[in-house]
Amino acid sequence: MKRKLIYSAGMLMLLGSPIFAQTPAAGGGGTDLKLPFAYLAMGIASGLCGLGQGKAVASAAEGMARNPGAAAPIRAALILGLVLIESLALYTLVITFVARQA
Amino acid sequence: MQAESEIWTTALFNRFLAGPLDTFLNAVGHPAADPAHPWQNWITVEILVVALILVVFALLRSKLSVEHPGNFQLAFEGIYKFISGQASESIDHHADRYVPFFGSVFIFILFMNLIGIIPGLESPTMTPAVPLAFAAAVFLYYHWMGLREQGAGKYLAHFAGPVWWLAWLMLPIELISHFARPLSLTIRLYANMFAGERVTITFLTLTYFLLPAVFMGLHVFVAFLQAFIFMLLAMIYVGGAVAHEH
Repeated sequence: MKRKLIYSAGMLMLLGSPIFAQTPAAGGGGTDLKLPFAYLAMGIASGLCGLGQGKAVASAAEGMARNPGAAAPIRAALILGLVLIESLALYTLVITFVARQA
Repeated sequence: MQAESEIWTTALFNRFLAGPLDTFLNAVGHPAADPAHPWQNWITVEILVVALILVVFALLRSKLSVEHPGNFQLAFEGIYKFISGQASESIDHHADRYVPFFGSVFIFILFMNLIGIIPGLESPTMTPAVPLAFAAAVFLYYHWMGLREQGAGKYLAHFAGPVWWLAWLMLPIELISHFARPLSLTIRLYANMFAGERVTITFLTLTYFLLPAVFMGLHVFVAFLQAFIFMLLAMIYVGGAVAHEH
């Protein structure tokens, strides 16, 4: 079932292939596609970041449930971990802004 | 990123103090793009924040008392305890030597992050220059502290890693990771603050006038969190630099 889902997701993504057939804009070849790819990159980064943060929160909650006395250090480690993972998605956001400018 | 409009503090500074800043910038070799408006939003609000912090701490100093601490003093004692507790967790020996730097960084960044929420003012941390300055300061500080604590030879030798025959591998890795630290500090703080404002504005264009306030609330929380994380990472870097291997 999982393989079928991945296969059908891949086929759906290939549905967008007519975009490569468009004639280049007057400015040159690749400049038209910078922005859509930046948006896609942002989506991928946010999705993976969400997965990572979900795992962090899950193990933190489990640790706090097993050992309520150690809740404060676990919470500190959780906040630090969440912020570091968050910053990875934010790097991609900055790249999106750079792609908008150039 | 795009040209920001002037806020009232910048307009005030440009009206009365444009001349001195132009002279200074020309002397330093970076003439302003628009000589009639050399002051920019971030520097004027930063000066405002410095004045605000000075007023707050001068008030605090004048009301210090051992027998009858007021609520103001208790609040700042709580803040100090929090910072020094966090520092002694990250740094093994003599953490209180470094607490003034961490406290200053924390209070300054916190005030700068929060002042953007007041309508009519803009967070200086929304421009990339300001977090970069803080990150450069933290970078220089922790290397200076490491050199001072361990001596130049021993400190530079620890970049080579635990064993001498891995030094050819460890040295580039350590150098890259040390230079990635100010980069990540800058971008983390800048992107959080900038994105917070952008998200609020975007939702203002999409929906009614109260719903974007939820995002502003999130921005307040993120402002506190980012200031704390900046300080915490600075502590971790200093702790790593001054740690004595046993």
